[in-house]
Amino acid sequence: MRPFLDMQFGDRIITLMAALVLVLQIAVVAQRWIVTHIRIFAIQSFLLAMIAATIAWFNHAPHIYIAAALTLVVKVILVPIIFERLVVRMDIREEIKPIINVPLSVVISGGLTLLGYVVAESFYKQNEPGLGHNELAVAISLFLIGFFTMINRRKALTQVLALLSLENGLFLAAISLTYGMPLIVELGILFDVLVAAMVLGILVYRIRETFESIDVSRLRRLRG
Amino acid sequence: MLLLALLLIPVATAAASFFVRRRKEMEAANLVGFGLVFLIAIALAAQVLARGTVSLANDFFYADALSALVILLTALVALVCATYSIGYLRDDQQSGELGDDPSGKEQLAQLRMYYTLTPLFVFSMMFMAVANNLGVMWAAIEATTLVSVFLVTFYGKVTSLEAAWKYAVIGGVGLSMALFGTLVAYYAGHQLAGSDALVGLNWSVLAQHAELLDKTSMRLAFVLILMGYGTKAGLAPMHTWKPDAYSEAPVPSAAILSSAMLNCALYGLIRFYILTSRSLGPEYPGRLLLLFGLLSMGISVPFILVQKNYRRLLAYHTIDHAGIMVTALGLGGALGTLGLTLHMTFHTIAKSLLFLCAGNVRQHFKTDLFSEIKGSVIRVMPLTGIVFLMAMLAIIGMPPFSLFQSEFLIMRAAFDGGHLLTGVLFVLFGTGVFAGALLHVGGMILGPRGDTPVAPRRPWRDGSLLTLAATLVIIGFWVPAPLLELIRGAARVVSGQ
Repeated sequence: MRPFLDMQFGDRIITLMAALVLVLQIAVVAQRWIVTHIRIFAIQSFLLAMIAATIAWFNHAPHIYIAAALTLVVKVILVPIIFERLVVRMDIREEIKPIINVPLSVVISGGLTLLGYVVAESFYKQNEPGLGHNELAVAISLFLIGFFTMINRRKALTQVLALLSLENGLFLAAISLTYGMPLIVELGILFDVLVAAMVLGILVYRIRETFESIDVSRLRRLRG
Repeated sequence: MLLLALLLIPVATAAASFFVRRRKEMEAANLVGFGLVFLIAIALAAQVLARGTVSLANDFFYADALSALVILLTALVALVCATYSIGYLRDDQQSGELGDDPSGKEQLAQLRMYYTLTPLFVFSMMFMAVANNLGVMWAAIEATTLVSVFLVTFYGKVTSLEAAWKYAVIGGVGLSMALFGTLVAYYAGHQLAGSDALVGLNWSVLAQHAELLDKTSMRLAFVLILMGYGTKAGLAPMHTWKPDAYSEAPVPSAAILSSAMLNCALYGLIRFYILTSRSLGPEYPGRLLLLFGLLSMGISVPFILVQKNYRRLLAYHTIDHAGIMVTALGLGGALGTLGLTLHMTFHTIAKSLLFLCAGNVRQHFKTDLFSEIKGSVIRVMPLTGIVFLMAMLAIIGMPPFSLFQSEFLIMRAAFDGGHLLTGVLFVLFGTGVFAGALLHVGGMILGPRGDTPVAPRRPWRDGSLLTLAATLVIIGFWVPAPLLELIRGAARVVSGQ
């Protein structure tokens, strides 16, 4: 049988790519440079677009191709370009200092992945068509690790990237649970993501101009 | 047709304000645009009363009594704030708050931003209220955050950047949870026929087949939505962005944020509450809502008691009232939901009025702190002082003002439904807020005579204050029959009875 028509083969490819997405998310926790973070985000988004395209191919669902193409344009090309230009303009070379050190952070991410699998288990029904629960578990883990990164890092730009990777987790959850949201919703979400990236980028730039730093722990004038 | 006009006019207003050259033209564009929006909102309310629901484009746009009420309130606040901001921003321009560029170009750019973003902000709120598809509704709520971020940074101060950052990031995280919740709700309905199409996420479809939704998924979806839209509504403990954003934004924007946008966030929550309570019964969502509602009311009390800044005081009041409304929703039933929709109406009017009064005080005394206001407000600015005091008495639930009625109704719902603890805590927190507010605001308005000269008349601002104040007083004694019918209709949508 030709492999490109076999559902099982498709499932295996998708699971492999989902695993890579998870590895990249944990790599974000472990690395310390903003430019690397942006590139990892781009690769992760690229893998997500590929997962979406693979699902579209094996399930003959052409509308998912459009979602995949849009993801490619917005999250793999536009958002990374905006952020890399921002980094160049702001001239950020400093390391990101996490609050919890790297080895412990990686261990915590592992724990969060485990939690993701536990939560995903409740959605998994043996006799129902659909993707394996691996993808959903990875999606929930991406969401949780994204949260953790937002709390753990103090650089404004890193927090924005972590927020965007939360959204990546949601995209994966959407395609693994329901083969994607309806197209117009997907469009709305991606438009919001693009605008959010620009709005937050402008804010980060202005914070940098005003505070001479993008360390958000310095933003502590408003209290009570 | 009305629904389409409701969305197109704010966009046209924004475009007009963006392209015209002079301040006066921007002001006129906003005034005309919001005036038309208000008329359309009234027409829509009338149509909903006559027909039950109004829909367009194959049910993509959908309005029932609840949406019509939210739209009407949003349109009212938008119109009053558009009038107010003319006087407010002219004052800011003269006093140099917008920078001191001699050519006036920078000020004009800032005014253009304000007059362009405000209609877009209103547009996204209207879009949210008429979107039937829950995913589209989510996108519109996210858009309200993105548009209003730059209203918070309007003055470009260090503190406003900080406030905007908190607002954008906390809001972004919250909304990503709400999106997850929406997604899980979509999954819960995926056995329904035709769920692959766009209508699969339509609220009207899901609500019709609520008993067929997957129950486990709906449980998870409701928790996520409560956290998500609860963040946007500023429920404790996700409320921390609220005092910052409200105290840094220009006062007319803060008035819209604290009344109309709060309604929008609650609207999103209410839509999911209806689905969840029809699918799982009202106990499960009710208990969660009571928990968050009472927590928000409780947390606001100490902050109100020790508050030094009057705009932040008002923000904590909004947190308190978000808590009250969520508690009313949690109590549910005919009484609780009627209390909720009545309270939503009254709170919108009273809270926007309070912010506008605070704006007058701030522009005259150039400070946000109680301690630095020398001379009683009521002597320096008689009209603002009287209205401020009156609105404050109304918002803490003094009879005969209207909020007393709605809060009393909610309290009755608590005791009737056997929620003794909720009722007792409700009274207790209400007393705390009462004491704190009277202590601070009473002192500020009626304090000892100072040597500050009496303020001049301000036609734009005083006119909008008086309009809202008159509305607040009148509906305390007499709610017009059609409005009451709309409020009751909205309550019936929520309770399903």
